[in-house]
Amino acid sequence: MIETIGTVFRNDEITPGYKKLTLRFVEGISIRAGQFAMLRPRNAYEPLLRRALAVYRADDSRRLSFLYQILGRGTAALACLKPGDQVEALLPLGNPWPVDAAGSSELAVVVAGGVGSASVLMLCEELIDAGVQTEVFFGAASENAAIGCGLDDFRAMQLPLIITTVDGSLGERGLVTTPFSRRLAAIDGSRSRVYSCGPWAMMKAVAEIANEHGAGCLVSLEAPMGCGFGVCVGCVVAVERKEAGEYGAYKRVCVDGPVFAADEIRWDVAGMSH
Amino acid sequence: MPIQDEADILDTNLSVEIAGVGFRNPVIGASGCFGYGLEFSELIDLNRLGGFCTKGLSARPLAGHPPARIVETHGGMLNAIGLQNVGARAFIEEKLPLIRRYDTRVIANVFGYSEEDYMETIRILNDGEGISLYELNISCPNVKEGGIVIGNSAAAAARLTESARRLSERPLIVKLSPNVTNIAEIAKAIVAAGADALSLINTIVGMAIDVNTFKPRLSYGTGGLSGPAIHPIAVRMVYEVAQVVSAPLIGIGGIASAMDALEFIIAGATAVQIGTANYYDPLVTMKVIDGLSDYCKKRGISRIGELTGATFN
Ligand SMILES: Cc1cc2nc3c(=O)[nH]c(=O)nc-3n(C[C@H](O)[C@H](O)[C@H](O)COP(=O)(O)OP(=O)(O)OC[C@H]3O[C@@H](n4cnc5c(N)ncnc54)[C@H](O)[C@@H]3O)c2cc1C
Ligand SMILES: Cc1cc2nc3c(=O)[nH]c(=O)nc-3n(C[C@H](O)[C@H](O)[C@H](O)COP(=O)(O)O)c2cc1C
Repeated sequence: MIETIGTVFRNDEITPGYKKLTLRFVEGISIRAGQFAMLRPRNAYEPLLRRALAVYRADDSRRLSFLYQILGRGTAALACLKPGDQVEALLPLGNPWPVDAAGSSELAVVVAGGVGSASVLMLCEELIDAGVQTEVFFGAASENAAIGCGLDDFRAMQLPLIITTVDGSLGERGLVTTPFSRRLAAIDGSRSRVYSCGPWAMMKAVAEIANEHGAGCLVSLEAPMGCGFGVCVGCVVAVERKEAGEYGAYKRVCVDGPVFAADEIRWDVAGMSH
Repeated sequence: MPIQDEADILDTNLSVEIAGVGFRNPVIGASGCFGYGLEFSELIDLNRLGGFCTKGLSARPLAGHPPARIVETHGGMLNAIGLQNVGARAFIEEKLPLIRRYDTRVIANVFGYSEEDYMETIRILNDGEGISLYELNISCPNVKEGGIVIGNSAAAAARLTESARRLSERPLIVKLSPNVTNIAEIAKAIVAAGADALSLINTIVGMAIDVNTFKPRLSYGTGGLSGPAIHPIAVRMVYEVAQVVSAPLIGIGGIASAMDALEFIIAGATAVQIGTANYYDPLVTMKVIDGLSDYCKKRGISRIGELTGATFN
């Protein structure tokens, strides 16, 4: 974890509402898939708190990109950045996606919903590098959202890719959990490992489906964060009381996650707004 | 490691003394915003820090409130963490040995749901080696049964201070709630009851509403407001309290720069605590120390304590 300043290299709109920010850093930063950064325009008064964004891609250790959806004040402020502008950054943060080397006959099933895609592009690359057989289920609200969430980068990886959109403008109409569920029913679930990032309700459904089919499931959670490095204890998620964890029934998404085993999460406890 | 050589650390223009305890500089990490200190060890040189307050400690570990626990507001944030913490015993056994590797002042922040709770926590902490002072949180606005009642009544706050003072083997700071009509009256009562120093302010009760669901944005409903938005309120309160008590004051609220810290000192504070700014600027404590040092050098101030209450002398 380092505290540093990034310089904006590019900040391009992909489709309306979705942008990709590429930052250059003076120092090399080694990133593992699933890790994130806390970012804010340098010396800004608005917003006060930095925003968590997954590292979308590492072009090299000094050039990192972030793919984001413009939602509120924080992401709107990032959207205004121009090449040459500076960004305060704390990174890399959080635990990475665990990727086991091939050899096991495991099938990796990656389920991305909306801008949750940003957390799994590097995961797919790591899975390919590790020689793990991988399939991707990519769900978005519409074609505009799907492209905005980096669909073309996923297409370029040439993995089996199933696309769904809620409005039917691209791929299968409906929720990504439908084809995902069909697929797990068709294969031996216990031989597959599911990786999922997206809205809370989607990950909850993915976790249930994976559980029904005996598949191991990992999720990367989102929560509004104050600091990103474990201090404010604001970004917690309720977990099963399996072991007496340091923080009892709640774990911090920023340092204990964002990647969790799905069966550790108390999906019944409401309150996760994202 | 506890600070060994008092003379050595006092040999700088930034050093201050609170209740007989020397601090290398007046910059202290605020409770709940500095973890157990260790979280910052990768980011800043803890040996340069005046000191820090631990997250609020209770006799037993606490799970805290369900999410959502924080929400950003204009120039600040609301929190309702619910005082999640490892408990005083685990703090002593698991955290303190690691903290003792650093040469900085450790202030243990104490809270409870009843007077007995506070006493039990202090009793446990009395065994901890490497704690310099206690800070009594009588003002946490987040827990219905707790702080708010005690911190808002001069009589209840004085009673608790008296009991804590009797039991405490270390100097006692009492942290004031801003959610009162007359903070100076409460401050007087607490000092008369034996507090060695006062810190102020804790967060200000606030609320944010989700315009789509019509529900509060925090699960608890209300939360404590902190950050730059509260700075002028806090400076005013330090000023008011400085007029009526002679115990040392520690100014807290919205500090993000050396200038913000200086306002507190000039208003009457001996030291300051920095909270929320650590979240969005993890190096802020170091920047404020450097800024204070520059300010003193430029103005030929040989001891920062000369500035305490300066305008009003
Ligand atoms: C580990 C991690 C990784 C992440 N990675 C990514 C990523 O790679 N890409 C990405 O796009 N996102 C990512 N996120 C999510 C991202 O952090 C959030 O989208 C971002 O913090 C939102 O901030 P904001 O200021 O733009 O929105 P906020 O201002 O926080 O608002 C969020 C939403 O609430 C609404 N809102 C605000 N105030 C009110 C109100 N009073 N009533 C009702 N609604 C209101 C806003 O309109 C908005 O829709 C990640 C999160 C985490 C935790
Ligand atoms: C998330 C959060 C948690 C806090 N927890 C505590 C606590 O446990 N005990 C306490 O006395 N004060 C607590 N505080 C209050 C701060 O120590 C400080 O008094 C307040 O935030 C005002 O200072 P600031 O504006 O610099 O943050 C907390 C504040 C925040 C933002």
